[in-house]
Amino acid sequence: MNFKLRLGLVIMIVLIMFLLHNSFWLWGLDARAPLLFGFMPFAYSYYIGYTILAVLAMRLIIGLAWPDPPPGLFENTGADKRSEY
Amino acid sequence: MTNVIGIGLLVSYLCILVAIGVYGARVSLKTREDYFLAGRGLGSIAVFMALFASNITAFTIIGHAGFSYEVGYGAYGYVIGWSIFITPFTYYLVGYRSWLLGKKYGFATQPQVFGGIFNSKLIALIFLVLLLYYTLPYLVVSIIGGSLAFTTVTEGMVPYWGSALVLIGISLIYTLPAGLRGTVWTDVFQGTLFLVVAAFLLSAVARALGGFSVITADIMHSNPAMFQRSLSEELAPINWFSYSFVNSIAVVVFPQIYTRILAARSSANLKQVSLYYPLALAVIFGVSTLLGVWGSVAVPGLAGKEADNIVPLLIHQFLTPTWMVLGLVVVLAIVKSSIDSQLLSVAHLVTDDLLPRFKRLNSQQAVLWGRLLLVVFAAVAYYIALIRPAAILAIAGFAFSGFSIMLPVMIGALYWSRATAQGACAALILPTITLHLWYLGILPEWTTFGFMPVFPSFVLAVITLVVVSYLTPPPAPDQKEKTFGLFKEVFK
Repeated sequence: MNFKLRLGLVIMIVLIMFLLHNSFWLWGLDARAPLLFGFMPFAYSYYIGYTILAVLAMRLIIGLAWPDPPPGLFENTGADKRSEY
Repeated sequence: MTNVIGIGLLVSYLCILVAIGVYGARVSLKTREDYFLAGRGLGSIAVFMALFASNITAFTIIGHAGFSYEVGYGAYGYVIGWSIFITPFTYYLVGYRSWLLGKKYGFATQPQVFGGIFNSKLIALIFLVLLLYYTLPYLVVSIIGGSLAFTTVTEGMVPYWGSALVLIGISLIYTLPAGLRGTVWTDVFQGTLFLVVAAFLLSAVARALGGFSVITADIMHSNPAMFQRSLSEELAPINWFSYSFVNSIAVVVFPQIYTRILAARSSANLKQVSLYYPLALAVIFGVSTLLGVWGSVAVPGLAGKEADNIVPLLIHQFLTPTWMVLGLVVVLAIVKSSIDSQLLSVAHLVTDDLLPRFKRLNSQQAVLWGRLLLVVFAAVAYYIALIRPAAILAIAGFAFSGFSIMLPVMIGALYWSRATAQGACAALILPTITLHLWYLGILPEWTTFGFMPVFPSFVLAVITLVVVSYLTPPPAPDQKEKTFGLFKEVFK
């Protein structure tokens, strides 16, 4: 899979996370099911679930589109190069 | 405050900070890169705690708890929900590519990175001016918020002016000698401390109020609106959506955050930070939300700004003197960790990006100037925090939005090789003007179509960057190659 395609997948993940954050259609559950498992406020516990999803999403993004720099990339570099840029 | 254990804890805490400053100064090399960037050698835990501690301000435990007191559990998602994902994501989106450029070409600040990409001294200057313009009022507000909290927790025993002096003075003790290394080491210590103590504080308040289930049932009975986001005017969907563009995407633009990303030792360190960052944000804001909401039952009847005192009030009402001192330490840790990083970053920006325009500085002179400027900015911030001028507080009110609307240019510069210096210049200036016109009430409110001003300004920044870039000649191929050639070697 080329990098552009992988970056496209990353953008999709971001859009899904944005939609899940702005999930106004679920706000009705605040009143209908105010306590998840009988003690957890829905509006609060939703974001505990969202946090777990955020970690998984970041894990996926790192795997998809976060390569390490190749060896030797930073040889002969540093602050002394700033003026050459 | 007469509790011996409590005072012992407070003194130990202060001694540890001083020891870190002294030791940090002994191991620091007297070079610019070592003083301002810790030699680009920060490991995962150091970067994580440095970013987290700089990200957390008095608002987290004071302002956010006050907001939760008023609007209920929905405050959690409103304030931090989107940040939980997007803030660490921007560490990848903007942070990693900036880190690559910094490592390759020696860049240490945003003016250097983005001025370098566009080969434009003007872009560097605009970045410098905007970053200082938004960071300084934000620094002053951090000092004001922290000092008020410190005074409240000490029941007025330390007056406001004394609290501000203590906060700034202690920050300088380790920042002045040890630079970024000093602030990062204290961040690791303080970040751990406030995560642990905040969790203990929550459990102590919960026990005092009868336990989690009892409190929740109480709130359900006395104020069911705290559970329903749709009943809060402030959490209206259009505000909720707009707020996604305020604090969450601004974080990576803060110079104190950006510089710490550049100071990471390796790509692996940044990956680990981004992966686990959501958990830290969720925990600290989760604690703050619960304290605020629970406070609405425990200490009812606070209105407006009074609600911001809910955490100090809970500490007073429900905790023993030892816990009170630990609460005080948490407030100190949270406030100071953002003040020291902001002070260091403004001193760094001026030393590295403004002074060289007038005078060539060698590495040792830069460190000397950096220290001098730290003291100057600390004194100026202290003075402004004492007189609290309305204009400064007004700018701080939209500083987050100001940072946010700089993000399109940063992303464009790092991802779009057709972006031009003229496009970037226009996309930085035009939305900044409109943001001010909206906040100063010069442009009518209806022109934002009901959104917070940050959203239309953000969209304007994107459109301006694209349109002006296409209307102006493309960047020179060799200039593009220096940035995008490097990225091609990494992102295959």
